[in-house]
Amino acid sequence: MGASSTTRRPPASSSLPSRNAKTFDILYRDHVDLIYRFAHRLCGEPEAAKDLVQETFLNAYRGFDRFRGEAQISTWLYTIASRACLRMRRKRKGAPERELSLEEFIPTSDGEFRLQIPIDGFSPEEALQNKQLRQALNAAISQLPKKYKMVLVLRDMEGLSAKEVGTIMGLHERAVKSRLHRARLFVRRQLSARGLDEAFTDHEHD
Amino acid sequence: MTKRRAYGEQQRSSATRHRHDHGKSRCLNILRKLSAYIDDELSGSICREIRRHLGACPNCETFVVSLRQIVSLCRRSQAPTLSTAERAFMRRKILQTAQTR
Repeated sequence: MGASSTTRRPPASSSLPSRNAKTFDILYRDHVDLIYRFAHRLCGEPEAAKDLVQETFLNAYRGFDRFRGEAQISTWLYTIASRACLRMRRKRKGAPERELSLEEFIPTSDGEFRLQIPIDGFSPEEALQNKQLRQALNAAISQLPKKYKMVLVLRDMEGLSAKEVGTIMGLHERAVKSRLHRARLFVRRQLSARGLDEAFTDHEHD
Repeated sequence: MTKRRAYGEQQRSSATRHRHDHGKSRCLNILRKLSAYIDDELSGSICREIRRHLGACPNCETFVVSLRQIVSLCRRSQAPTLSTAERAFMRRKILQTAQTR
């Protein structure tokens, strides 16, 4: 949108990437793995993740002029990727968009307090070698409504601070923390007896 | 499981008997704060209040352990990486699209 005719650049950004293939190559080389990892965590599968990476770098290529250099380049790319993901997910069929309430995470039976895949005594790395656990974790994350998933992925998987996540998603830090808490409770429930029972029942009905 | 039950029995026999019921506002109030508790964002007095509750409520204690486990699993979970060929292919595609659209 007008990007191709924009030749002027704000003086403050003179050291930032100019719109040419060479600078793009450096941006791409240094960040493609980061953005692919993020995209894969959001999309849950390689083809959609690749589409998202391409959309992100295409938008970045066109938007160099709008990058003001106030944030790190990675934060800027995360922001572009998050917005592109929201647009893409609207077109695709994803988890239904809804608000998660705290009340729905209150356990109602004994098996719901602990995780049903035993990981006590294992380090997280060792536990993640269990394929069933990895699949259950990925399935739980993929079932999150996207605005919760994005916060969980950025904060707990990409390791960003609540403030950075707020910048990327245009949210107040308090809202980030609230969404993060609900997202974690959702994933926890999916790996408890209730979540696994539901997954099994759904599977049977498929 | 057995260990938890045994711990539960011990708690139930104490004078400050706490029948676990997560419909109770006290447990719900704790549940609200558990991520902030795990992330160490709460003041000392609120942390002490939560620890006191967890000490008296085995189910909430189990719950917070499982929530911590989820956070650690998310932090350590790996994502696949691109091959050199995939990276190069995507780069070409992006530049082509940028120049044609």
